Amino acid sequence: MNRDRYSAHRNLRGVNFVCHAPQAESVSLVGDFNQWNPTAHPMERMADGGWFLVAELRHGHHRYAFLVDGHLTTDPRAMGATRDDQGRRVSLVAVS
Amino acid sequence: MVVFGSVGQTVVPESCTVKKSQATKVRPPAAGGAKRLIHPVVVYPFRPPEDYGDLETLYGLVARLDAQRETYARPITVLDRKTHASLQGKPRFEAFHRDIVARCSDVLDAWCVDTCQMWYAGLGRAYELGGPDDVYWLIPGDFNYGSPVGQEVLSRLHDLPEICIELGQDICVGEIEADHNNPKQLIDTHGTFALLYNWFPNEGREIRQYTERPRSEFFAIRHAFLGEMLHRRWYAYEQTVVVLLRAVQTGKRITRFSVGNISDLEEGRESFASAVQQVERTERVLKSVWRELHAEQADWAERYRRLETQSEQVRRAALILLENLLS
Repeated sequence: MNRDRYSAHRNLRGVNFVCHAPQAESVSLVGDFNQWNPTAHPMERMADGGWFLVAELRHGHHRYAFLVDGHLTTDPRAMGATRDDQGRRVSLVAVS
Repeated sequence: MVVFGSVGQTVVPESCTVKKSQATKVRPPAAGGAKRLIHPVVVYPFRPPEDYGDLETLYGLVARLDAQRETYARPITVLDRKTHASLQGKPRFEAFHRDIVARCSDVLDAWCVDTCQMWYAGLGRAYELGGPDDVYWLIPGDFNYGSPVGQEVLSRLHDLPEICIELGQDICVGEIEADHNNPKQLIDTHGTFALLYNWFPNEGREIRQYTERPRSEFFAIRHAFLGEMLHRRWYAYEQTVVVLLRAVQTGKRITRFSVGNISDLEEGRESFASAVQQVERTERVLKSVWRELHAEQADWAERYRRLETQSEQVRRAALILLENLLS
């Protein structure tokens, strides 16, 4: 673990998430950082059909996805792609 | 604890030597009882560079890694002996080698037929010095690290081994994003993936879910998976494709991480001759891997002939397209 590299690893940093889902009823952000809890990070609908959220994340790398009307959806603009512990395709974000 | 080795404690292949002055430096155990280290392995350019600007930028990073002893093992630089011999007597190279490369890394001189064999020598050497929780980080030297894109790539490369460690991944492939008309992307789209879909369709689909650049030279790999690969046949070309095939076939944890974007940059065209070579190499490797996996089966020869016929058609189609697009 590279915690030493990030001496301020306990610090939180705001990360912007945008999901384009104009037809969706609800969208939330799920990931390792909220134990994939669908109610922890609800996203806000924007006028252009996108959904937006600023999430406070710790330094390091986080797996995440959007839950669009209950369906796990990867982020096409993500920094990376991987799988979660259940083997589902998810996205990756680096916070430095 | 990580076991810290020295030349005297490990088996060094006959084709390789490590500069004694550097190799005998045994890194002290990490403070605080850290149990895992990242091993940077730098592949010195096979073809001698005219300008050392890119390498100076790269070795600026290597020097910083070398200074972080709690996190990184002593970096290794793999230098092909032909390259080394061709540069001996040139003051600029000798000064760079002595004052920069050898100062912040152990230099591994090895006879290598191609770049992937340099990977084999360097990763193999690092593996011998590593421990079960360690991660190995391949850093190709022949990239324009001095350019704005190169500096962006360099600033993100450290994420690859960190992702392996933090997220428990077996391999993390670094991908340089490019638009559809980028020459390397064209070769992968029409050559690499087309051939993969012929020889290994299921694995090809799975690999493409992670990356559009299955021949990337940027990756980090966990100790156990590297050991698995080192003890199998290692190919002189396109070894990343072979590693990804194995990863998919054995259910390894794979991550792709973007290390930069060259879509907006003007770039020199890859020559068609180079594209032919790359496509032919990929086909050759895939055929060999397929035979290794299926040669025990009763009907393998007939299936192989059918796939080989198709493969020839795929290759010819790929080369027609690439000739149209690159010539």
